[in-house]
Amino acid sequence: MASLVTCPHCGKRPKEEFTVKGAALTRPAVDAAQDVWFDYVYLRDNPRGAYQEYWHHTSGCRRWLVVTRDTATHEIFQCHDAAERGEVTA
Amino acid sequence: MSEFRVTLSPALGGRAAVSRKGISVEAQPEGTLLHLLVDPTMGDAVRLAADLMAAGLELRPLTTGQWFAVGDTALAHADLAALSATLKPQADIVDQSHGRVRIIVKGKMAARVLSKGTAVDLDIAVFPVGHATTTLFGHISAHVTRIGEDAFELIVLRGFAESLWDELAQMSLEFS
Amino acid sequence: MTPYRLSSGGLIDRSSPLSFSFDGQRLNGFVGDSLASALLANGRLLVGRSFKYHRPRGILTAGAAEPNALMTIGRDGRTEPNTRATMQELYQGLEAKSQNCWPSLDFDIGSVNGLLSPFLSAGFYYKTFMWPAGLWERFYEPVIRRAAGLGKATYQADPDGYEKIWAHCDLLVVGAGATGLAAALAAGRAGAKVILADEHSRAGGGLLSETAAVSGNSASDFLAQTLAELASLPNVTIMPRTTVFGWYDGNVFGAVERVQKHVEIPATHLPVERMWRIAAKQALLATGAEERPLVFGGNDIPGVMLAGAMRSYLNRYGVAPGRRVAIVTNNDSAYALAGDLEKAGIVPVAIIDGRADARIEGYTGKARMIRGGYVSDAHGGKALSSISIWQNGHTEKLDVDALAMSGGFSPIIHLACHRGGKPQWSDEKSAFMAPDGLNGLALAGACAGIDGLAACLEDGAAKGLALAAVLGFDGHAPTLPEISGDIVNAAPAAFKIIPGVRGKAFVDYQNDVHRKDLGLAVREGYGHVELAKRYTTSGMATDQGKLSNVNAIAILAEARGISPAQVGTTTFRPFYTPVSFGALTGVSHGKHFQPVRKSPLHDWAKKNGATFVETGLWYRSAWFQRSGETGWRESVDREVKNARINAGLCDVSMLGKIEITGKDAAEFLNRVYCNAFLKLPVGKARYGLMLREDGMIYDDGTTSRLEENRYFMTTTTAYAAGVMNHLEFCAQALWPDLDVRLASVTDQWAQMAIVGPKARTILERIVDADISNEAFPFLGAAEVSLFGGQVHGRLFRISFSGELAYELAVPASYGEAVADAFMEAGSAHGIQPYGVEALSVLRIEKGHVTHNEINGTVVPSDLGFGKMVSASKADFIGKRMLAREGLHSSERLQLVGVVPIDPATSFRSGSHILAKGAEATLENDQGYVTSSCYSPHVGSAIGLALVRRGPERHGEEVMIWNGLRGEFTPGRLVSPVFFDPTNEKLHI
Repeated sequence: MASLVTCPHCGKRPKEEFTVKGAALTRPAVDAAQDVWFDYVYLRDNPRGAYQEYWHHTSGCRRWLVVTRDTATHEIFQCHDAAERGEVTA
Repeated sequence: MSEFRVTLSPALGGRAAVSRKGISVEAQPEGTLLHLLVDPTMGDAVRLAADLMAAGLELRPLTTGQWFAVGDTALAHADLAALSATLKPQADIVDQSHGRVRIIVKGKMAARVLSKGTAVDLDIAVFPVGHATTTLFGHISAHVTRIGEDAFELIVLRGFAESLWDELAQMSLEFS
Repeated sequence: MTPYRLSSGGLIDRSSPLSFSFDGQRLNGFVGDSLASALLANGRLLVGRSFKYHRPRGILTAGAAEPNALMTIGRDGRTEPNTRATMQELYQGLEAKSQNCWPSLDFDIGSVNGLLSPFLSAGFYYKTFMWPAGLWERFYEPVIRRAAGLGKATYQADPDGYEKIWAHCDLLVVGAGATGLAAALAAGRAGAKVILADEHSRAGGGLLSETAAVSGNSASDFLAQTLAELASLPNVTIMPRTTVFGWYDGNVFGAVERVQKHVEIPATHLPVERMWRIAAKQALLATGAEERPLVFGGNDIPGVMLAGAMRSYLNRYGVAPGRRVAIVTNNDSAYALAGDLEKAGIVPVAIIDGRADARIEGYTGKARMIRGGYVSDAHGGKALSSISIWQNGHTEKLDVDALAMSGGFSPIIHLACHRGGKPQWSDEKSAFMAPDGLNGLALAGACAGIDGLAACLEDGAAKGLALAAVLGFDGHAPTLPEISGDIVNAAPAAFKIIPGVRGKAFVDYQNDVHRKDLGLAVREGYGHVELAKRYTTSGMATDQGKLSNVNAIAILAEARGISPAQVGTTTFRPFYTPVSFGALTGVSHGKHFQPVRKSPLHDWAKKNGATFVETGLWYRSAWFQRSGETGWRESVDREVKNARINAGLCDVSMLGKIEITGKDAAEFLNRVYCNAFLKLPVGKARYGLMLREDGMIYDDGTTSRLEENRYFMTTTTAYAAGVMNHLEFCAQALWPDLDVRLASVTDQWAQMAIVGPKARTILERIVDADISNEAFPFLGAAEVSLFGGQVHGRLFRISFSGELAYELAVPASYGEAVADAFMEAGSAHGIQPYGVEALSVLRIEKGHVTHNEINGTVVPSDLGFGKMVSASKADFIGKRMLAREGLHSSERLQLVGVVPIDPATSFRSGSHILAKGAEATLENDQGYVTSSCYSPHVGSAIGLALVRRGPERHGEEVMIWNGLRGEFTPGRLVSPVFFDPTNEKLHI
């Protein structure tokens, strides 16, 4: 069954319209230490509670979003366009 | 002059309109469908609209910085090039006239039939005439614009046009 | 005696008879009957056999919780097992069959299990079938499988249609009884968009069986009046026959509407079931309460029924339960039944009330009252004959033919617990209540522990108004009707273990779990509610413990000496009642299973004899068979040879195509490809490799610069969607400061590859421009006009085959005409269409890679592309991780060609490479074959392989080993380029 995700551009949409990429991490500088890059590429937290992820509204506006959701309750706290860093729109 | 005479083979060329009680599904003739990619620093639709209207096209909002401009007749290659030059540098035109297919769904039951495919609330109070969005219809992504109280225009990738058509025919079966 | 139809009364239409059959016997009912009421009206007490002991069972309830009267309805593809007779509307021609019995319902061999019951106690699966282990598969499991289970599904295809639909509303009201109707009316009048769903065939709930008067009129008059007003409100939708089965994230509710489950032959243009997803801003549960059975011996004998159900059959369906009726209760509600029975001329022979001080306001009947007493046992075989009444240590036997029981009420809170909330035990209500603090969902009426018609109407109206107000709809509190003659439960029933029980006292009817099983579970250490459920199976199967859970928990609590609150409950999950696979599938089967994506050259390929293959959603032409060709290889070999001798035309429209514009387009490409793109001149194409951030190759393709700030990228067919998503991620999330604009143009262009020595000659008749080698050299890219300016397209001189080759893109609807023109222009030059099989052979011969090789484990140098990787670029996706030491080891698996030593032999993709003479072990594995085919050019099988130090080992003899099939083929490692290694053909 569909959970509804509030896309800042399109409003409430079922999760089938989205593609999830995974943790919304900041890409390190190319000359950052190898450890930093290993963390970015391979290491993921697995929190119970709030988690930030990149979601793509693939079958809608085709914008990449940063979705903050609760891994235990599925509640979505925030959803904003990935290009607008940090700005909360929903 | 070439010895070859080319003819068009539109995607839904052979499909007669589906007409049932309170619902019809009709493929639009292959006209003009331009994809506008607007300069993020200076783009808005208002400044483009006049030039497009002069070319006989209507704007449909697509996504951040992108619009469709649609019209029922095909633009000649030279006219397209001229329009393209006019809109620069504000917008780049990508011709999608053959890459997208327009389908009109209309009638009292149009919103109900489309609700079998999409989770978008098509109540006229929240989805008024002129409103447009892209959504999944069943398993197919399509752009939908309310073009009248009981009329919607769907824009779908050409490759999926037959499948979407078959889905719409199935969804409207209830009103046969 | 058995139940019978009364000559008047009820909401059935005695002027509209219906005939139906049960186990082949023809019976009659009326419009308005359920299958259960019609069976009772025909005197059928015995309607099924129980699951484990095969005990005779009768109809226990009048609703969704029915555990006994499960039947198979319909025949052939429309066979539907486990249908609750209480929920099935009667229709003309209905065919019902009993389940769980053989050879017949009346004489069932499985009932011998009843005699074996000492061996079938709780946990018997675990105890009895432990040893010997070898017997599990051969004996125990098949026997259990045959004995267990309920009805049988059919193997025939379902001829009927199903569909799904979305709905949106301000307020969803679940349950159209008094509470739900009042709520919907209050919110509807305030202007809210309301959906009122009810699982029964008609709205009304308890009002349909009610004899209390509402404003001086009958309850059914009040109901009709209320429904008429609701129907007049355009913002209210009433959905009967619709079960709301789940509450999901985002306040979305799943519901299934039984559109045509009440007709013999469904109309073909309508679905039989429709699955609704209802997005509700607010929801109100008005789902009522479930009456609990009392746990006494023989409480499952046909003739024993819940009091509320008996009242429903009497008042709504005009069916009397018998001539000698007793009532056993621990609360006031059953006295409404007593009053109604007396009005119908059936004075109960006794009312046995567990409360010594029972005084019921509003009941003035003539029945004999036995206060402080219990029914300890019911007696009879296939029909109830007598009961034993225990009172103060004395037992009295009484002949009866029907017994109504009421053990109190459990609010129906399932939906409220579907999103993780746990039910809360209330000592005050003696029931589990919905958790507090629910967001977007409230409860009203009996499911909130409220009793009595007046209170339910008031609560429904108040909550409906309040929820509408939350959404900004203001309404007025309605004037509530005056109720007379209603019996309201003064206090809820407390659970008590019934003394003096001798026979099997069932807790879970559907799973044949009786009281002693739960005691055994506690004694054996499985007293935790979750363990007890698994150990005893109490609360499992299609009814999921609707009737049994509270009794089971109370018994566990008693046995463990703790309170029901401490025992807790198991988790409520969707679905509330079973949902058919058909409804969940909707239209997505057969032709509509998944969308089909068709190339603009599909019809052209079809008329040229293509055999299609599904690749993802695309239908691609695999080969073009000619008359006389007997196998696909024959066609493919011909197509390959012809492309190398004359010319071939291949549909490559499915390649992903992306147009990239913007002032920073060049910089963007430079960052997403590992090779350099900044200096690509206008009018040129370049091969590009895209990496993942971990340094592995993601995809490859060509990108052409059409204008200063306009590029045309092609991707592989398989990764077209993924690459577009990836580019959008880079543009939006990683580098939003770049001016780069992306448009997918895959569907705009019909793209065809024209390949072979005659390609240019043929193409010259199609395009207007000069395409001589000098004017349009290898890797040229240009916008071109065709046929004297009739069409405009894009021409690329690129080659996947190693031949002189071009790719021409034309607007999709011109594709077929242009391909036809190619065939005509090329007919004198031997042009032939070829498909993806030949395309694959041509590329393997040339040593070109696809995702067979780009399999997520290779870096550019593994495929011989090491020098392409730009050393000078500041950054590109994958740059940092590609620098890892291990990715530059000479020990890595790298691209190499492979051929069999004996040209008459061959090998398969996936085979492993062993050093010559090495034992066939995984330890000796040197790599594996990624692509293989028969090469007409080489005259034998050839392959590409990823082999340890492959490029250093050209010429080495190896063993090609297919461990799965036990095949060994002596082979030799060679250069991966089998055709034109110096690339002369590309430049002619």
